[in-house]
Amino acid sequence: MTVQREQLEADVLIVGAGPAGLSCALHLANLIKKHNEAGGKSTGSPLSAENIYVLEKGREVGAHQLSGAIMNPKALAELVPDFKTTAPLDIPVTDDAALFFAKNSSVRFPLTPAPFKNKGNYVISLNKLVKWMGGLVEAAGVNLFTQFGGASLIYEGDGIAGVITDDKGVDKNGKPKDNFTPGYELRAKVTVLAEGTRGSLTKQLVEKKNLANINPQTYGLGIKELWDVQPDRIKPGFVAHTLGWPVSTDMYGGGWIYGLANNRVSIGLVVALEYANPQFDPHTAFQMWKTHPFLKKILDGGKLVRYGAKSLPYGGWYAMPKNYLDGGLIVGDSGGFLDSQRLKGIHLAIKSGILAAETIFEALKTGDCSSKTLSAFPQKVEQSYIKKELWEVRNFHQSFQHGLYAGLFQTGLQFISGGRGLIDPMRSHEGYRVYKKLSRDSANQTTHTEPERFKGDGKLTFDRLTDVYHSGTRHEEDQPCHLIVRDLNVCATKCVVEYGNPCQYFCPAAVYEMAKDANGKSRLKINAANCVHCKTCDIADPYQIIDWVVPEGGGGPNYEGM
Amino acid sequence: MKIIVCIKQVPAKDAPLSIAGNWIKESDIGFEMNEPDSYALEEALRLKEKHGGEVVALSMGPERVKQTIKEALAKGADRGIHIANDQFAQLDPLGAARVIAEALRKENADLILTGLQSDDHGFGQTGVLVAALLDLPHATIIMQIEVQDKNMRLKRELEAGWFQHIECPLPAVLSIQSGINKVRYATLKGIMAAKKKEIAVIAADSFGAKSEPTQKIAKIYVPAKTKKTEFLTGTPSEMATKLVEKLKFDARVI
Amino acid sequence: MKILVITEQRQGKWNNASFETLVAAQQIAADAGSNVSAVVVGKGVGNFAEDAAAKNIGAVLLVEHDLLEAYTPDGYCVALSQVIQFAKPDLVLFPHTYQVRDFAPKLAAMLGKGMIADCVGFHKEGEKIVFVRQMFQGKTVADVTFQGAAPWFASFQSGAFRADLLTAHPSGKAPINKVSVVLKPEQIRTKPLELFKEAKSAVDLTQAPIIISVGRGIKAPENIPQAEALAKAIGGEMAASRPICDEGWLPMERQIGSSGQTVAPKLYLALGISGAIQHVVGMKGARTIVAINKDQNAPIFEIADYGIVGDIFEMMPALTAAVEKAKT
Repeated sequence: MTVQREQLEADVLIVGAGPAGLSCALHLANLIKKHNEAGGKSTGSPLSAENIYVLEKGREVGAHQLSGAIMNPKALAELVPDFKTTAPLDIPVTDDAALFFAKNSSVRFPLTPAPFKNKGNYVISLNKLVKWMGGLVEAAGVNLFTQFGGASLIYEGDGIAGVITDDKGVDKNGKPKDNFTPGYELRAKVTVLAEGTRGSLTKQLVEKKNLANINPQTYGLGIKELWDVQPDRIKPGFVAHTLGWPVSTDMYGGGWIYGLANNRVSIGLVVALEYANPQFDPHTAFQMWKTHPFLKKILDGGKLVRYGAKSLPYGGWYAMPKNYLDGGLIVGDSGGFLDSQRLKGIHLAIKSGILAAETIFEALKTGDCSSKTLSAFPQKVEQSYIKKELWEVRNFHQSFQHGLYAGLFQTGLQFISGGRGLIDPMRSHEGYRVYKKLSRDSANQTTHTEPERFKGDGKLTFDRLTDVYHSGTRHEEDQPCHLIVRDLNVCATKCVVEYGNPCQYFCPAAVYEMAKDANGKSRLKINAANCVHCKTCDIADPYQIIDWVVPEGGGGPNYEGM
Repeated sequence: MKIIVCIKQVPAKDAPLSIAGNWIKESDIGFEMNEPDSYALEEALRLKEKHGGEVVALSMGPERVKQTIKEALAKGADRGIHIANDQFAQLDPLGAARVIAEALRKENADLILTGLQSDDHGFGQTGVLVAALLDLPHATIIMQIEVQDKNMRLKRELEAGWFQHIECPLPAVLSIQSGINKVRYATLKGIMAAKKKEIAVIAADSFGAKSEPTQKIAKIYVPAKTKKTEFLTGTPSEMATKLVEKLKFDARVI
Repeated sequence: MKILVITEQRQGKWNNASFETLVAAQQIAADAGSNVSAVVVGKGVGNFAEDAAAKNIGAVLLVEHDLLEAYTPDGYCVALSQVIQFAKPDLVLFPHTYQVRDFAPKLAAMLGKGMIADCVGFHKEGEKIVFVRQMFQGKTVADVTFQGAAPWFASFQSGAFRADLLTAHPSGKAPINKVSVVLKPEQIRTKPLELFKEAKSAVDLTQAPIIISVGRGIKAPENIPQAEALAKAIGGEMAASRPICDEGWLPMERQIGSSGQTVAPKLYLALGISGAIQHVVGMKGARTIVAINKDQNAPIFEIADYGIVGDIFEMMPALTAAVEKAKT
């Protein structure tokens, strides 16, 4: 449908109000404030925080923020020096344990391996932290718009010039409803993509402009539950990471258990989306993990508060895309700024936002927002602790391609060689290439039994739908489906034979189902309204025909407290 | 026309409710505009588009309700009134209406609109009470409004598919039926413009409105399921007959 | 305790909820040793007064005036406030109808009193009457008490009490007292015009007292008419769980659940619905829940008052027949 769009112009447009996007906005606003107070000049119109626009697709700031989480405070300290007294940090880490789980027993590593040491770090709720940061950003005069997504990029010359925001009030058949409101053509001198993991605009941009690095980005899927437990089951500040059961040694993954204040516990399981069995179900594995005696003791008698899931970019240094071009920068998880060894990305996201802000500040002052000026961003990253940290673990994740023991061997060598190890750079493939085809020769062959869908006991373990309910996810029902499957015929004919329709298993939100219609024919049913915006389907679909696009703004999960 | 819309901020529809005495724990939940009131706001904005004038968004409650007023401003209301009251959730319907009526008295609005009821307390009385206190004519469950000079022709909904037209003079108070219109979205420009719009803040007790409550909520609780599920057995027609009997004579619902 | 019940009739027919309210009054009165009077308002409504007088109540107050022929909030409030000042009741009760919502709070306010509306029941705590009403769209209930002196005003939700419990007057007829009221045309500011019927364009399930709801168990759209037949026989509205509306087998407005409507009807009949939490949160406030499902472990049975583990395709026609039979 051809639409007349209103135009708006900003100096800087940041897509995504997560830790990276908000840090960029806040730091830039602070730089501008100092500059103006000191009577600074710039070419063109005066600089103002009001010309920084931040778009957030969630209902409110923080709604889509989910992480374990343990935060290294160093980056926040730079951004907000008095953070210790003003930031909503839940609790400092008091004890960190690395545990190895067998089915009914656990062993604590006598010495916690270095990557799992968290002294000086804080257990936090990322949702609460980001909400607080959002408050600071708005107080600084930045225009923060919630319930607006970036639907498509505006390309200009060799780079980008802004985004088109989502059209609102479109019905499920693509027709305008009574309250149809077209998206804006939002132009900016610099557009910062801070969409988080597997950003939809970032994905397009990386492909179109060949920004990919020597390794493709690879991802993990983290599934989390927040519980209120009986008193004295876990000490606040207790941090544990678990390896082993139920993650088999040919898969990469592990669990976490973080004690927050007030008898609240954050638990979750992360698995790399690079496994051979296409019908592996990460949600089921997570539910099973909870039945381990160590977890059961903590959770028994407790109450599930919230559920959520999100993917994480594991690829490390050699998988980070080129993060600058004419009029554009990529920060945070969208740019792969995550330490997959230490499982920490928040401080790197914040730091990347800070460095982007510094870069943009110079660009705005000189009026030159071309890639030449913006190339200062990767240079700053190179000179910062981001590089230092990520360089050491540049081959970490790739080492586990051949299983847990091979991985431990390789990373052991990397540890003593500053990250170099035996092979540097270690090359890897996209996660979906790891699937092994099923031994089926037709769609109706019954020798291969479908995995049983997990039902849960409703007290300790839950079926997927019950968990999804606790994610608080909701979307306007009457809108086009935001999960675009480019060829629906593949599902019932090819995929069912080769892979057994993995989407039914890897989606933690019960979005995808193979349903039988009245004629007994199978077809893919998409329950788009259940989507929690984790992007797993976009990442893990074996044929790469699923495109996650941004739904009508405001839709998605409600990760209060996550 | 000067139209005032009374809007309530309520706990988000899907917020997990944690009961605390006669209210709920407000920490860790989101709040949003009461959905029935959003239809009243939309109706007000449409009337302004048709007849010109001003739309004022009023809300009572603690600081957080400003967010809901801003939403109304972003959608096109011209200014806001925040009646500051941290104990708002404890007010009885007449107590709340008294404060609102006093806040509105000097506004001399042409029309005051409310939603049918709130999704939290669900008293459903505010509009009628404000009309009584301001001695204005009123009508409820309104589906359509046509304005001609100082008069309105209204369509009111009754039970069982019946409707009625009513003539009502201005000024008046109307409570608007839900779902009668498609609520508009706030635009980027609307959100930015809202920042510059005025929200007058008045303390709830500054009117000297009478404050003895007429009723008190002693406690809120989840109704205990007193019965265990009674399973019926037999052939389908036996079970059907048994069920109809139980529904008719035991449960008394048919 | 003296209790007045304001009854309602329109276009020559009783609103039966009036009788339910009389029952409520009797139950409150029974506990408190009081008397109950029914108030009949209108013009030329003597026959309604006769109907009411035949019931087991203390008296009927007949309030007639030309200007009360058609309902207006102003007319009713001015007239009834005079009736209340004359009769001096402790408690004034109403059925919670659309009409009562329109005038009763104002009537109470005119006398400086508050109204506890839409109650689903009551209980006594010593001398005090504690009214029970729903909050948060039926997810919870609240105990509410009056503060201050009488008269007190309250309305009861349709179906909260059983109209058939109203027995006949022991000596045949209660006294009918005419109460004259003063009402001037200029006191009535709104002008009611004709009533008319329309095929309802929007479905408001929240007002439906009986809901017949279908889930995945219905299997195909061709099977929905069976459920619709049952709904028609029992006088209920059709509704459905998410998957049915997603498929387009029933319109979106009939969806019950966290992403649809939240309802609290007198009767909710769940056919082939598993009881996933997304659906249950939309209907667990229903007074009586009946579930029919093939799977005895379906979570819906955890909240059902009556359960049938069976085939809905056998039960739907059987129930329709049983309902029709019971009508005769």
